[in-house]
Amino acid sequence: MKGIILKVALLITLFFGVYLLLFQIDWMQLFQIESRKESTETKLGELFWDFFKQNETELESELIYDSLDSLVKVLCKYNDIDRESIKLHILEKDEINAFALPDGHIVVFTGLIKEAESPEALTGVLAHEIAHDQLKHVMKKLVREVGLSVLLSTATGGGGAETIKSMAKMLSSKAFDREMEKEADLEAVKYMLKAKINPEDFASFLYTLSDPHAEFSRQLAWISTHPESQERAKYVLDAIPYDSQFRILLHDSTWEEVKAELH
Amino acid sequence: MITELRLDTLPTEHEAEKASNSYLMSLVALIGGLPLPIVNLIATFFFFVANRRGTYFVRWHCTQALLSQVSLIFVNGFGFWWTMSIIFGDRSWSNAYFAYIFTLLLFNLIEFIATVFSAVQTRKGIQVEWWLYGEITHRLVKP
Repeated sequence: MKGIILKVALLITLFFGVYLLLFQIDWMQLFQIESRKESTETKLGELFWDFFKQNETELESELIYDSLDSLVKVLCKYNDIDRESIKLHILEKDEINAFALPDGHIVVFTGLIKEAESPEALTGVLAHEIAHDQLKHVMKKLVREVGLSVLLSTATGGGGAETIKSMAKMLSSKAFDREMEKEADLEAVKYMLKAKINPEDFASFLYTLSDPHAEFSRQLAWISTHPESQERAKYVLDAIPYDSQFRILLHDSTWEEVKAELH
Repeated sequence: MITELRLDTLPTEHEAEKASNSYLMSLVALIGGLPLPIVNLIATFFFFVANRRGTYFVRWHCTQALLSQVSLIFVNGFGFWWTMSIIFGDRSWSNAYFAYIFTLLLFNLIEFIATVFSAVQTRKGIQVEWWLYGEITHRLVKP
């Protein structure tokens, strides 16, 4: 019996010895995993954004674009996020929606900007979408929904127009799972707090949009795809420390100009 | 690694075939059941159950084949769930993962070669005893 135990121990040691030996090799570098992942994500991002660009109208207002860009810049600056990695797009559409595409493409509909009561509320939504990008939720969702092989074939030009269309629609209209949504919400609050932006308006935006009797409920794509909005508003509020001091994001006059240009 | 023994009483043609099949069973199921690591274990287990009242030679080899699969199930099962958690979960590719997968493949390859060799030799009526597994089998299977 002792002999058997010794042999079992030897076998386990041998297994882990081989493992440790192989662990010394930089497989990630050898297989160029990171660069392959990045190029796949870049190609998918371009494909999906091209789809929206061809089917929707991109907003041409410099004032609105610059205002939103300044919000994204603040978030990026205080959270060590490369601003160049976030590609902000605004589409003229009344639907209250915003979503993230692969490779940092963040798409915001004018309907959502119209409905936001303050720059802080809008920044909350932007921070939420940036969080999805930074936490790699977009690629994870795609892999879960369509599978790795379909994604790779799409990225290498093997996916048909219908496949791209259905994936793009899925990204714009279907929420991430509950766990990912909560993670993105809390990450967004972290981004906002680091940038000294008050997340209270973001929470109240969530709360307002969750009202089923609201006139605009029919247009609420962003909120209807993000379940349990009241609960979300609550944990966003809970994450704010009492003694925080916040910055002014946009001057009231600029915000009013943005709103006026949309109406 | 593998010891070959000449038996005093040679197994009959039927016995040698059954004993050899116990190894083949795991190979066929391995090819058919990829990538699920449990399929070959289940196939070998059912073959073992079906032959548990067989002759000593048949029972002995069914047990050795089953034991070899049992140890690999842990290694392969862990590798399988690690892969799944990368594809569908929150884990990402890493050096640790690739090192584990190549270790797993190496041990599976050794087991595969040993299984093919055992299937061929037992078919000829030669007693084949694996390092460690042969010893455990001797403790479990009595004439």
